[in-house]
Formats: sequence, C-alpha cells, structure tokens
Amino acid sequence: MLVPLGVGCGDGRVSQPVVDTDAADRVRASLVTSAGAAVETGSEATATGTGWGTLKGRFVFAGVPAEAKALVVDKDTEVCTKDGVKLLDRSLLVDPSSKGLANVVVFVRKSSRVKEATPPTAPVVFDQKQCEFITPVFAARVGQSIDVHNSDPVGHNTNIAGTSFNQLIPAGGGTFFKPEAETGMPTMVTCNIHPWMKAYAVFRKDGYVGVSATDGSFTIPDLPAGEMLEFQVWHERSTGPNGALGLAKPELKWTPKGRFQVMIEADEVKDIGTLEVPVAALGG
Amino acid sequence: MNPTTPADVDRTRGHVPAWSIKIVLVLLVVIGTTGCGATPPAWFRLNMVEATKQKLTPDQERQVATLLTAMFGTPDDPVALPESGLDEAKLRLAAGPVRSDIVGRKNGLYREHCAHCHGVTGDALGPTAAFLNPYPRDYRPGIFKFKSTERADKPTHADLTRILKKGIPGTSMPSFALLSETQIDALVEYVKYLSIRGETELGLIRAYFELDDDAQGKLPETREFLVGEVLEPVAEKWKTAADALIAVPEMPPEIDLAASIAKGRELFYGDKANCVKCHGPTALGDGQANDYDDWNKSIVEWTKEVVGTDDKSWANRAHRVLDGDSLEPRTIPPRNLRLGIYRGGRRPLDLYYRIHAGINGAPMPAAKGTIPPEDIWHIVNYIRSLPYELDGELGADRPMVARDRF
Repeated sequence: MLVPLGVGCGDGRVSQPVVDTDAADRVRASLVTSAGAAVETGSEATATGTGWGTLKGRFVFAGVPAEAKALVVDKDTEVCTKDGVKLLDRSLLVDPSSKGLANVVVFVRKSSRVKEATPPTAPVVFDQKQCEFITPVFAARVGQSIDVHNSDPVGHNTNIAGTSFNQLIPAGGGTFFKPEAETGMPTMVTCNIHPWMKAYAVFRKDGYVGVSATDGSFTIPDLPAGEMLEFQVWHERSTGPNGALGLAKPELKWTPKGRFQVMIEADEVKDIGTLEVPVAALGG
Repeated sequence: MNPTTPADVDRTRGHVPAWSIKIVLVLLVVIGTTGCGATPPAWFRLNMVEATKQKLTPDQERQVATLLTAMFGTPDDPVALPESGLDEAKLRLAAGPVRSDIVGRKNGLYREHCAHCHGVTGDALGPTAAFLNPYPRDYRPGIFKFKSTERADKPTHADLTRILKKGIPGTSMPSFALLSETQIDALVEYVKYLSIRGETELGLIRAYFELDDDAQGKLPETREFLVGEVLEPVAEKWKTAADALIAVPEMPPEIDLAASIAKGRELFYGDKANCVKCHGPTALGDGQANDYDDWNKSIVEWTKEVVGTDDKSWANRAHRVLDGDSLEPRTIPPRNLRLGIYRGGRRPLDLYYRIHAGINGAPMPAAKGTIPPEDIWHIVNYIRSLPYELDGELGADRPMVARDRF
C-alpha cells in the first residue's frame, strides 16, 4: 500500500537524497559559533626525515594497442595535413619495441618539504606545430610561467579547462600564462579553432610530477626523504575515477583510486620497477 | 515478513470485508488531498550529473545534500554564512514562494520571475528551459559570460544588475526594467547565492575523490573544511570582482573612423586576430560551428564516458541522469556579426570587453596579451560597421559574396 504513495508523484528522474535536517542544524550551529577559529586541518603532511631521494619506474602496456584512429581534420588543411600527413589520435602511445606506455602522469599528493621552494624562473614551453600540441601531456608548477607558443603559420587559440585561460595565439607568436592553482587530476587543453587538438596539463605547487616518456619511464627527483609519500597516477584512457590508473600492486598499496605509497631514504634512487598496465585498465 | 495482508486472505474466501474497503477509501482521500496536488516544501536538487560522474554512494549524496542545507538553507529559508559575503535580508525578499506580507511588497521574486527557466536550484532545468535556444544559464559552475571583469573573474554586482535591467538581446532573457531597484538588487543577490551554493556543491562532490583512504568516504564536517577550504575560495572571488575590472584605454583619437574600420577589417581576416576562423568569411557566424560551450561540452564528454563504460548498472543510472538532469547538448554558433544584435550589450565598450577577455565559458578566446588595445578598438569599429556595410563602400572591387574575398 505504501509503495504507490512513495513513487506516485515521481517524474521519472532519479530520486533525490533525503536531507538529514537534524544533522544539518547541528552542522550549521557549529559553523556559526566557532567563527574566526583558524585551526590546522591536520591533512597537511609532516616532515619526518631529512635529505632528498628519487623515485623512478617504467610503465609498459600488457597488450597490443589497436591502430590509432585518424583525426578528422577539416580546417586549415593546407597547413595541418601538409604533405599528406595524417594526424592520429595520441591517447594511447605505446612504444613498439619496449612496450613502454607514454604520458602516464605520476605526482605526489602531499609533501611536507620542497627542495626548491620557488618555481624555476625558466618558463615551460608549450608549443603547437602542424595543428598538434607538441607535448600531449605537460606539467608546470603553480606560479611558473608557461610559454604558450604557436609555431604554425595559422592562428590558434589555447583553452585550458578549469583555469579560464583561453587566448588567441597568433601565427608565429605566443603569450605567457602562470597557473594560480593546482589542477588535481590533469586538465584538458584544447584549441577551439581546430577542435581535434587536445593535450593535458597538470599544475602542482611542489612540482613533484613525472610524465612517462616514450619508453614508459619516469623519474621524479628531489623528493623529501624519510616520509611516507602517496603518489597519484593518471592516464588519459584510464577507466578509473577521473582517469586514475589503478594497478594490482599490493606491495605498493596501490588503490583503485590510482594511488600508491612509497618511502624513500635520503640519497636513494628508488626504482619501483616495471609496472604492467593491463589492457582493460585503459578501456580495452 | 508475511506478504499476505488480511484483505488478501479475506478475498480468497470470496468476500471483501467492509473495513478494508473503508481503509482503501481513506487512503484514496489521503492521496487525493495531499499526494500530488499540494505544494510540497521546496528543496534544492542535488547536482546529479556531477554526483553520478563521481560515483557517489547514496550515503555520500545524502551527506552533500545535508551539508549544503547546513551552509545555505533551503529555497524557502535561505541562510547566508558571514563568509559568503551575501546579504540574507536581500535573499529573503527573493526566496520562497510568491507571497506578500506587507501591502505593496512582494516576496518570492526568484520563483515568480526566474525559476521557470533557471530552475529553483539555479541549474537551468526549469520547466521551460528545454524549449529555449540558447538554454538558460546554469549558475552552478559559477561561470558568467557578459561582464566588465577579466575572463577568470566573477561579474560585478553592476554587471548582473545590467543584465536584469537590459535583458540579453537575441535570447529569451527579457528585461526586468519594470521591477524596482530594491527588487532587482535582491534578485542579483539571489543569483550570486545560487551560484556560490552551486560551486560549493561541486567542490564538495569532487572532494570525495581527494579524500584519503582513512576518511572512509566521508567528508569532514568541520568549519575549517566546509568554510575554510570549500566556501571561502568561492566567495572570495565574488568579493574581489570589483577589483578585477578590465582597464579600457581611450579609443585612439588621432585615427579617423574609416581608417580604423579598414584596419579592423584587416585584423579580422588576418591570422593574428583570426576572427574569420569562427565568425566566418562572411561574418555571418558560419566559420567553426561544431564546437560546444563549457556547459554543453561537459555533458558531451560525460556522455562519451557513459556510452563507453563496461559498468552496466552505473551506465543505466547515468543514462537516467542524462535524461532527467541535463538537456540535449547543443553546439554554440559563433555570433552572426551582421545582425547588430550583441548579447552582452551593443556599446563599443561592451564589444571591447568581449574581444579583450573573450567570453568565459564559450570558445571565444581572449585577445588580451596578443592584440594591443588600439587594435582591439579597430576591431570594435569594424564589427560595428558590419551590419551597415554596403557593397562598394570600402572599394568597388570588394564583392559582397564574402567567400570571393580571398
């Protein structure tokens, strides 16, 4: 009898959670009364060691990647597909000889100490040529200059999601951008004039980011030694939440959220070895 | 649990007792009077797209809804924490059902004037939204297009006031110039409230992914987290909007209008400003036309993810969310510049803002940094001449069939 009463007025949309009004009142009271109190949340990492170490590893793809799809290029073809060059989807780049998986991002979630407190003054160069971003995945530190450049004879615009940066980049010209906040997981970079162009950017305050190279290897130097560091791993094609890459590596406490933990000793170069990425983890 | 009710047992014996008929009648009366007819208290609707995208559990959805109620109250009873920078008295004038407590003063202005398109939650899912083109603005991502501030910044109170007074030409957004200053002021405050609430909600929903494993999937309910880490960064951007005004230099006085228009035209077609790529060689908005704005793009991208997943039960729910909590994505056509209709205002200053900062949330990029201010003024002058451009005005060799211009 109660069932039709419960659903009778529904409009076919998914049902809404019911607010716990008592809990809401209680939380509100605590938000209003303790005004002005600035307390450490306790979520910051604390230094438990001295010195610096390095983390390295190598991602390999445990399968044969499907042939990369050709992108639909329908603008400025005289430049973008010059000499019959076909632009290919670069979301899964596997080195045929070493099986190395490129463009896996590894970064530290929280660090207590940073060797170089201020970001380098030299800008990160982010260039585009023949209607492709040259680096499909790039990292920069918060506050570090990014030299957004255009080496093409046609105009582009560079649109970094989540940052409100979307500027014209004239032919042969460029502009600078300084990220003001961390990205969390890498954020998409596009060109609205040429919608097939796509890259990913990751901005971190401490700069502890590694992007795997063509052979799948990555290195993150100058990490704070003597503390348990938690790393986040991401790949564009990963089926995990927000692109998180989960691997079956219990010895590193690797979680489905794509996080693993490592402690590095001072002056140690910790090699976590070859990390096999199963085909299913990247959507088959 | 015994699934058989006494009424069923009696029915198997061939008769229905009078008392059970009475119960059914009473229930029918109850359903008839309270069921679908009465106005239930209003609740904000959870951002189901983001909650489903982030795979929140039912408990987590409930926690978000509860925390938001703690921080912002309900559509009938709004709350403004001091850190929000919002004026609760103004919110109360705009919130709640349409009613009048003092002769001549009306409350519930948002639901009277705005909610049928923008939705009670400010999610642009009001009952009329699906029939409009362009769709109404969804305030929750905190992105606004037409403003006097830099691209990344919030609009000022005056920017939103202007939109309410003037409307947005070329869209379904009408002018509310007949409302009093106090009422418009209250509505602007309420739009900010819905936007701050919506961005806070996004922050909370996305925070689950960032939780450490020992948090056991539950957000901290402390003031430090809720106010310090989530609300304040959002509210701060609204408080500092007035400091982020675009500095507009005077239009260069030494150049005459015809020369400026000619210069602007050169820039429009040149590969530095590159306006032609999207607005088209005819300036009719027929260039790049298969792109999306940020609101639609997020649905397009998520749909790809839903279609591609192997997790069938999640996909079923996600499809229902797409059906019920989002509108069919639409591409965003670049503006037809020959109509003389400019959504963000037709003053030369408005066009300067649009070109300098681009349009936040839309593909339109910023010229700032790559095009000097005097060149932006030349483009403004050319754009303003386009609706009135006659064949031969700038030289008899210039055909109107614009594709022949190259």
